[in-house]
Amino acid sequence: MIQVGLAAPRRALGLTGLVLGAALLRALLLPLGDLPSTLVFGGCLLAIAWFDRGLSPAEARWGRGRALVVGLLVGAVLLAPLTAGSLSTRGLDGFWTWAALAALIATLEEIAIRGALFRHWRDEAGPVAAIVAGAAVFALIHLPRYGWGAMPLDAAVGLALGGLRALTGRVLPCAVAHTIADWGAWFWA
Amino acid sequence: MVLGMTRARRAGLAALTLGLAAAAVLHGRLAAPPVFDGIVVPPEPYRWESPPPNLRAGNKPPLSGEATLPVLNGQVAGGGVQTSDNQVVIYFGPGTFKAPAGTQTVKCTIAPDPNPPSASTGVEIRGNVYRIGCVAQPGGAPVTLASSYHLTLRFPPGAFKEIQYNDGSGWRTLPTLQSSGGDPYAGVNAPGFGEYAATAPTGAAASGASIFALLGRYLEFWGILAFVIFFGAIAVIQELRRRRHRAPARPRKRG
Repeated sequence: MIQVGLAAPRRALGLTGLVLGAALLRALLLPLGDLPSTLVFGGCLLAIAWFDRGLSPAEARWGRGRALVVGLLVGAVLLAPLTAGSLSTRGLDGFWTWAALAALIATLEEIAIRGALFRHWRDEAGPVAAIVAGAAVFALIHLPRYGWGAMPLDAAVGLALGGLRALTGRVLPCAVAHTIADWGAWFWA
Repeated sequence: MVLGMTRARRAGLAALTLGLAAAAVLHGRLAAPPVFDGIVVPPEPYRWESPPPNLRAGNKPPLSGEATLPVLNGQVAGGGVQTSDNQVVIYFGPGTFKAPAGTQTVKCTIAPDPNPPSASTGVEIRGNVYRIGCVAQPGGAPVTLASSYHLTLRFPPGAFKEIQYNDGSGWRTLPTLQSSGGDPYAGVNAPGFGEYAATAPTGAAASGASIFALLGRYLEFWGILAFVIFFGAIAVIQELRRRRHRAPARPRKRG
């Protein structure tokens, strides 16, 4: 057991590299437009999650309903500071398409980072390393789009979502909280 | 220590609390975008000074912008000014503006012009005309330009060709660089103070507005989205089936 803990987390590092590589590919494709680059990124995350799907039988998990409620609450807390600002004048015309895409990408990010990546880091280096590594990856993958200025905020949100994953044993509340926080940008950003 | 919790859950609770607290603090301090998945939020509707009849109902008036900039050794340090609705942004380097002797600060303003000069024949002004000017303070004396500054202008949906400039002697075209990826912004090296406007040839259609271009755009979007959703659904179904096969059989009750 001690040997496992001290061994280099090779698989986790490899997977981390893949997720960061997907973000790098997206950054390189940005000149083609936001939509194609985002969808290629989403496809990469889907492929990573697909080829690395698995279960941790030993992990205790909250029930779906309870996890969903906690996800909604965390999303609301993440959204709260935004609501202090003025409402945007965007109508609901383009919202649904945008919201569907935002939810899809947010969910894929959570499946890859808080799902596959978290599982490997936790199994190979422990839960604290899994939370921290997830937060770092989360901040790094958003770097090309938002720059260094947004990194602390993204790292903080990544930390919260990693904590939520460790607490509940599920990816579902992380995806719910992430999606709710994203949607708020339409109305208050 | 929280009783009855595993190490992982304790770490999770601590990280969740710390992360939420840090996010709340950073939201207020950083002007960072609040989207965490990297998808650009579409810009708010264009604010018209004189909206077309069909957009009059929901239109909000355009906003102006101003900045007071320090003067050091007769030169204005580099900086930028933008309107509060982000429809116009100007950037300049140190020494771009030269102020008269005794100037302490320079006040730069960008304001939508409600009564702009008419466009040249065959040219249509698209959106608002903005007046850009800088004056020395105290005194209000004019500031001269040592070199051009960079101006980014948002244009409304529809046709667009180039940005034009009017210093009081008539409109003239400027070499214009349009943003990539369909963003409704264009930039120029602005040669002076005066009025700036987005323009297009009279009666021109929006670029790429043909039925085939529109169809292509929608097919690209919906096609890729359908692809991702289709394979995502397969992945979820396969995963659920796999889990069902893995689940250990429940022991039967005796008796």
